[in-house]
Amino acid sequence: MASLFRTHFRLACTSIKENRTRSFLTCLGIAIGIASIILILSLTGSISNLIDKEVSDVGSDLIVVRPSTTKDSVTTIIEELTSSNSFEKSNLALSDVDSIAEIEDVKAVAPIAVAHGTISNEDNVVASAVILGTTPDFVTIEPIALRYGSFLTDKNKDNTVVIGHMLSLLLFNTSSPVGRTLKFHDKTFMVIGVIEEMTDTINFDNVDFNNALIMDAKLLEDLMGSLQVQQINVKAANTDSLSTVSETITTTLTSSKMGDTNFTVVYGDDITHPASAMLNIISGMLAIVAGISLVVGGIGVMNIMLVSVAERTHEIGIRKAVGASFGNILSQFMFEALILSIMGGFLGIILGYILAFLVSIITPFTPYISWQILVTTLCTTIVVGIIFGIYPALKAANKNPIESLKHYR
Amino acid sequence: MSENIIELKKLTKRYGYGDTESFALKDFDLTIKRGEFIMIMGPSGCGKTTLLNIIGLLDRATSGEYSLNGENVANISSRRKARLRAKKIGFIFQNFNLIQDLSVLENVALPLVYINQPRTVRLKNASDALDRFHLQEKEYYLPHQLSGGQQQRAAIARAIVSDPEIILADEPTGNLDSRASVAVMEELKSIHEEGNTIIMVTHNPSLTVYATRVINMLDGQIDTDIKTVSDQNLPQKIEVKRGKKRKRKTSNRRKK
Repeated sequence: MASLFRTHFRLACTSIKENRTRSFLTCLGIAIGIASIILILSLTGSISNLIDKEVSDVGSDLIVVRPSTTKDSVTTIIEELTSSNSFEKSNLALSDVDSIAEIEDVKAVAPIAVAHGTISNEDNVVASAVILGTTPDFVTIEPIALRYGSFLTDKNKDNTVVIGHMLSLLLFNTSSPVGRTLKFHDKTFMVIGVIEEMTDTINFDNVDFNNALIMDAKLLEDLMGSLQVQQINVKAANTDSLSTVSETITTTLTSSKMGDTNFTVVYGDDITHPASAMLNIISGMLAIVAGISLVVGGIGVMNIMLVSVAERTHEIGIRKAVGASFGNILSQFMFEALILSIMGGFLGIILGYILAFLVSIITPFTPYISWQILVTTLCTTIVVGIIFGIYPALKAANKNPIESLKHYR
Repeated sequence: MSENIIELKKLTKRYGYGDTESFALKDFDLTIKRGEFIMIMGPSGCGKTTLLNIIGLLDRATSGEYSLNGENVANISSRRKARLRAKKIGFIFQNFNLIQDLSVLENVALPLVYINQPRTVRLKNASDALDRFHLQEKEYYLPHQLSGGQQQRAAIARAIVSDPEIILADEPTGNLDSRASVAVMEELKSIHEEGNTIIMVTHNPSLTVYATRVINMLDGQIDTDIKTVSDQNLPQKIEVKRGKKRKRKTSNRRKK
């Protein structure tokens, strides 16, 4: 049997070599489909790596409280996207921060409350800037590196702010504006710190720190009149107490909200869940598009195989006459289709990574290579080869030997 | 004495239905003994080729019974039919039917592919078969680089490479000049003398001298059936003999 397989393999190779240009073009069709799948998988892989890294940077002792229940189904995420302002529905309040802070084993609590407002100084005005309201604890929970100055403290939080790198350039035309003042809602604040420029803007807070102004959450609430808390970040005293602490948070908040359980307490990998779910949907959509191009490539394989079968009708007749069975002819042509598509697959993997590398030059997404991706694409090419090779191979195997022998090229 | 290798009973092959109905074979009865060299003659369209195709398991009769080595062919799977074609039956065609993309050697080795012989054994046996027909130096030629007679000899080598019991030849000399025809017929004769059963279709009456039995067909039925050699005098197929012969060949080579 093994000898027969080897024979079929050699035969298929010969036939592919004989029609070099044709085979190459067919492979190219598959390669383009595979390359786009590789590109998409590589991009999503690198993005989810970025997200994971963000969480691991923060540390494993992080608990996140988010409004509303976990968004894991496609419809809730799409609902989220289509509703104009998602955090308007938030039922978390700053008072919850205080009640969480009182829980045992909680080391630090920081709300993430985002508002938009106009910031100005003598020279410049920045309209609808991102204003992040939080507490001085923020910096102990998240590894935000400051380029200059220091973060808010309990003593000075009433009249100081920390700003992002880009915002600093926009307002003060310098990256070191520590000590200078800016106006927000007619109140004057002193800039006491500038955040280090961040290259990857993806984080689990969904805040663009480069363009953000960070101030005390209570003060922001006073100025804005009302404030929606997007998220509450909690740092547990140690990793072991994560589950008990998160359970206590759940019960505390439920009782303080009179039984309203419309919030989620997550820790560990679950923190990135909404972002990952979103990413999965987008990459799924892209994969469908890539899949379409793969189908087109597969049709190319089928087309060429049909031509090959028609051209070799006489040969099929001879082979059947000297003893080839249905299965022999079937596997001969299946092998040819499989080799074409697998060759296209390898070409596509190479092409896809070249593309991924080119993309990484202009974006922060480094090419992401894993054996899962390689195995997936290889399996895909095999499946494509089988699906689009089976019909021509069946056609060949079903040929009547007598009719085929009369057939001349 | 020889046993019956092929038995055909009331074999009918019909083409078309209703008004277009025609019979290539009609209630055809024939018994072929091991070791016979049968020539089938007759006008075009009398069903000679259809008969060969049915005997060669390439075609299926509309009705009637066909037993090969005592086994009713109607009951065997197409997979086993293919194996029987590879092992027991050798085909020789008028237009040689060699695969143009393969070398002569690979063409001859083709039936061995389908009985799962390893590549080295295949090529060795094919080379030996070609050697017998004086074509060994042409092993790596492509079929179109050979003359018609050489191509037909290669085709005969292919037909006997798997040591079959039945050789079916459909006008093997039809495309050859008289000199090449004689060479081909001499080869067939020597194959027959080793005890093989040969069934050959021909239009050339002068070739009947090689046959042990001449059948004239007309409109899908036997017209005349003449045996020139009695059943007792048919050559016996002896496996040991062939084995010895092959051994002798290899030992000869070793001596060289």
